[in-house]
Amino acid sequence: MTVVIGFEGSANKIGIGIIRDGEVLSNPRRTYITPPGQGFMPSDTARHHRAVILTVLKEALEQAGLKPADIDCVAYTKGPGMGAPLVTVALVARTVAQLWGKPLLGVNHCIGHIEMGRLITQANNPTVLYVSGGNTQVIAYLERRYRIFGETIDIAVGNCLDRFARVIKISNDPSPGYNIEQMAKKGSRYVELPYTVKGMDVSFSGILSFIEEAANKMLSSGQCTAEDLCFSLQETVFAMLVEITERAMAHCGSQEVLIVGGVGCNLRLQEMMGVMCKERGAKLFATDERFCIDNGAMIAQAGWEMFRSGYVTELEDSWITQRYRTDEVEVTWRD
Amino acid sequence: MATETNQETGKLEFFLDVPFPSSGEATVALRSLSPDREPRRGGISKRLSVSGSTLSVRWSADEARVLRVSVNSFLDHLSLVVETMELFGPPVDL
Repeated sequence: MTVVIGFEGSANKIGIGIIRDGEVLSNPRRTYITPPGQGFMPSDTARHHRAVILTVLKEALEQAGLKPADIDCVAYTKGPGMGAPLVTVALVARTVAQLWGKPLLGVNHCIGHIEMGRLITQANNPTVLYVSGGNTQVIAYLERRYRIFGETIDIAVGNCLDRFARVIKISNDPSPGYNIEQMAKKGSRYVELPYTVKGMDVSFSGILSFIEEAANKMLSSGQCTAEDLCFSLQETVFAMLVEITERAMAHCGSQEVLIVGGVGCNLRLQEMMGVMCKERGAKLFATDERFCIDNGAMIAQAGWEMFRSGYVTELEDSWITQRYRTDEVEVTWRD
Repeated sequence: MATETNQETGKLEFFLDVPFPSSGEATVALRSLSPDREPRRGGISKRLSVSGSTLSVRWSADEARVLRVSVNSFLDHLSLVVETMELFGPPVDL
């Protein structure tokens, strides 16, 4: 029996989760939500996490019904992500690991998402689309590495959506992407936007510039509604993601797709991916908002796999890093 | 705490000594606070050490502004580590 506690706080969510042999015992989380029109800055986010982290830690232990002695390993997000919030969380993880006399394990955030997706959906060997506010990658497992087959060459798809939400000043509660999704359902007019797939990769910063300008011009002249723009943006960026996922699947001969990351909650994206999968006779896997959105249990799960295959992080090596490629980690727990 | 200008190097120096109830706890704090590097900013370096039950930090900086940011940041981090130790300590004996 192996029990791992995982600490996650690389963006505006702070979550701590406990996993025992594939069972999620607890997974409390708090989100730092900014007023409409504003994004979240590193030092404010770190301040938010610092204010709540010890309370969330107590909740994680209480909800799991465990004492520190019951924990086998303390896992935390080493990177990638925002520096100040990552440090705040790592400090607590390092401290409790020492106080409790438990080994520490630095986890790659992207691999946390993948391992949680694999656990929850039981997908065998899927092509993974990892889409969030900070990351957009198409990943497939091959020979001990999660290889990046395609990715954004500039900003993440979630970042594009979040920044567009700021322009039209919609609420960030519970998340800007969720509110864009609800507004898109009421859109009826398709506004043509640039479609930028570049081979295996995608680009979103041009689309963002275009739609920011379109919003200013078209909304004031009444040519379309904000709902129409939300609808058009989703249709465009999601079609791009489906295309590069399909390209990777064809490359790998894969019959499974797993969507992870906060943007993976979006039901329209799941629907569009589902259509492509059906055409190819492939199966689509996705998780719900408990596990799509950044959470502590996903770090615990990746930590569980890593710990059991012999990984440990020495304290001197436990520094956080804002840049951490998914393929930098040797995936020793899979053949 | 003290700030001075080192006459030889021309750099600003800041010294901070933090007493802990035991050397074990000072060491826990040291090992939590030392791994992360200074955010990409030249002209600042800090060194942490433990002597007895005191955690000592020595900064060396080119500019007062950079020094201030680093020291403030460190104090925030230190207070989080101390609060964590108060809630979940004392350290187990291995």
